[in-house]
Amino acid sequence: MEGVAMKLPSFKSLAPNAISIGHRSFSRVRRSSSLSVFSAASSSATVATSSESVSLGHRVRKDFRILHQEVNGSKLVYLDSAATSQKPSVVLEALQNYYEFYNSNVHRGIHYLSAKATDEFELARKKVARFINASDSKEIVFTRNATEAINLVAYSWGLLNLKPGDEVSLTVAEHHSCIVPWQLVSEKTGAVLKYVMLNEDEVPDVDKLREMISPKTKLVAVHHVSNVLASCLPIEEIVVCAHNVGAKVLVDACQSVPHMVVDVQKLNADFLVASSHKMCGPTGIGFLYGKSDLLQSMPPFLGGGEMISDVFLDHSTYAEPPSRFEAGTPAIGEAIALGAAIDYLSEIGMPKIHEYEVELGKYLYGKLSALPDVRIYGPRPSESVHRGALCSFNVEGLHPTDLATFLDQQHGVAIRSGHHCAQPLHRYLGVNASARASLYFYNTKEDVDSFVVALADTVSFFNSFK
Amino acid sequence: MAAAAMSCAASLRLLPFKPNLFASSVQYPAKALILRPLKPSELPSFRRTIITFQKISTGNVRPPSASPPSSSEDFQPIEELPPELQEIVKLFQSVQEPRAKYRQLIFYGEHLKPLDPQFKTRENKVEGCVSQVWVRAFFDDQRNVVYEADSDSSITKGLAALLVQGLSGRPVPEILRVTPDFALLLGLQQSLSPSRNNGFLNMLKLMQKKALHLEVKGEEDSSSEESLESSFVPTPETNGGVSVVDKDTESKPSFVEDLGAEDSDGGSDVVALGSRGMRIREKLEKELNPVELEVEDVSYQHAGHAAVRGSAGDDGETHFNLRIVSDAFQGKSLVKRHRMIYDLLQEELKNGLHALSIVAKTPAEV
Repeated sequence: MEGVAMKLPSFKSLAPNAISIGHRSFSRVRRSSSLSVFSAASSSATVATSSESVSLGHRVRKDFRILHQEVNGSKLVYLDSAATSQKPSVVLEALQNYYEFYNSNVHRGIHYLSAKATDEFELARKKVARFINASDSKEIVFTRNATEAINLVAYSWGLLNLKPGDEVSLTVAEHHSCIVPWQLVSEKTGAVLKYVMLNEDEVPDVDKLREMISPKTKLVAVHHVSNVLASCLPIEEIVVCAHNVGAKVLVDACQSVPHMVVDVQKLNADFLVASSHKMCGPTGIGFLYGKSDLLQSMPPFLGGGEMISDVFLDHSTYAEPPSRFEAGTPAIGEAIALGAAIDYLSEIGMPKIHEYEVELGKYLYGKLSALPDVRIYGPRPSESVHRGALCSFNVEGLHPTDLATFLDQQHGVAIRSGHHCAQPLHRYLGVNASARASLYFYNTKEDVDSFVVALADTVSFFNSFK
Repeated sequence: MAAAAMSCAASLRLLPFKPNLFASSVQYPAKALILRPLKPSELPSFRRTIITFQKISTGNVRPPSASPPSSSEDFQPIEELPPELQEIVKLFQSVQEPRAKYRQLIFYGEHLKPLDPQFKTRENKVEGCVSQVWVRAFFDDQRNVVYEADSDSSITKGLAALLVQGLSGRPVPEILRVTPDFALLLGLQQSLSPSRNNGFLNMLKLMQKKALHLEVKGEEDSSSEESLESSFVPTPETNGGVSVVDKDTESKPSFVEDLGAEDSDGGSDVVALGSRGMRIREKLEKELNPVELEVEDVSYQHAGHAAVRGSAGDDGETHFNLRIVSDAFQGKSLVKRHRMIYDLLQEELKNGLHALSIVAKTPAEV
């Protein structure tokens, strides 16, 4: 702990549970200025006593105005960040700022405003590249979201490279966005989709996946962290396997990039996709990471302005990546706001965020599994198994829709119920739907407590009819 | 009724403010549902009976239109609902506490007659429900629609039970006239926005679609027996392929308006009011002293269903559209206004007048 105190002069890098004298005196000075804001902002925040530091969740709550409201007569408890995350004020300000002060079309103009907009837009691209440790910002293609990014790869790389009989390996736990594009493209090309099921730990069977990868496999498309099971796949291993047979790997990192350090060079993935709106950025922007030589070899996806080099009546020549895949005017303000979100997350530090979420996720899992008749999907957390900070679950004899409705209307707790865009997975698990509570670094222990109390109340309400 | 109006307002206050509450409040003209399967080009020329009675020329004669109260602030008065449904709404209004309302709802669901598994088919499944809901509909021997339903979610089952109990045993036109507005009166914070997740809305739509389908099939069976004047003609396209009541409710009003516009050109089709129509007009004129009075006989739209065929009444004069602009409505709530009119027409209602669609305004509101 003392080592930590020495190393970290900045208030922001307080480990959630750090207790140390040196820390305290340092941090007291820093904290006092923002203390009043905490107590004003969050009635549930346990303001630091002399022996405890304020948790990350409590510290950042002031940045998220949307969390400070009542719904249906109760304090809002937002547990649906896996569906979309909330945005800190700095991100909203960046977006507003763009439109108020330097909105202009990018890459086209010469005047001051357009130069500034272009600079900021390209700076945002650099920020994304740095965030995931891409070797060059040219490897970042801005898209509307991760779904569009996957479609880009499917229609551009897929249509060119998939031949009849080629195999695309997927898991049964994939999000629809990483299933349907491959279905569409395999119909057109004659490629075959192969799925691995779950093993007894309720995670995709990586051994079976290894067996499935053969010289016929051209692409392995898998999630990094599952939005239902909360499991994490060993991407590095999978990439090694795939590259051995000459197959490419696309990683759906929607649930990982926002929550932990993701290093594309370390993973050595060929493609990686993520959405801004799940990582404190606005909707309408996402990105595809692709290795330079891969992107170079790919034909255009959408055609139009910006992605061309020269246009004649009967043909056109195309720009270099990433522009080649960015037809039309991009979501400029949104990209810049995504850059601001990345700045915000980086300032806190992804390792810190991850550490906090592992703790809180464990806490959630523990409290939830202690309730009778609750069945949580995915692996059990352990030393070796780190779950994402979400729990999809079902309560015996209670439909998730009833659960979610009651939680919302009687307790202001926002969770999700349904198939979470993973119908094949639910079918495999033998259920029609599940409820899901998902956390982000702005949630607190109190949020989890409120949720569990509300859940218990809900269960007993519906049980009273039996 | 005053109590209903007041607790109606009270229930509305329980709801979180939804800016689009009225904008998206379904314009659910039942008649559009009847007419919908026909393409405009195939519409038979309707013989309509319109008399516009105006004391003061306001300069803009509204084209005869088939739509019920179209202004978005009017939402369906409780009296237009089938009686059972009215009772259910009143019951829920009398229960103030939200938890108790839920209890009541789930209680309804628990007492829903189970649906035989053989009926849990794809056609009977309500689209876009996160939970599974099935609805089955068939005619009883008086050609009233009987419903059965089931769901795996307690709340949805409760809502289904509400609809089953409220709509079962009623004739098709009455069912088709029901708009989802009444759900607001239940105070369950039921959203009415058309979306794939709106189980309640989709349930009601499916039930109405099935009722219509039964009607169409029934008419096909009997169209050889009677030649119904200007009745809705089933075409091959409508057989089982009733245009899916789509989730885009915006298209409905415009469809109806097109129809209205089209028909206003057919001047040669105007026919005088029958005796009932005349009596209605006289009564309303006498008692309400209206500035504007429109009495429109739209019984032909309902010709062919049991309540009309051979009804004890004047040549099948069973359904009317009324538009009344009168000072007598000053200071009265919508519900009260409708009540006034129904009271005035008690006799007719007892003797074969089946239903009224009413627009009641004060001169200031026009």
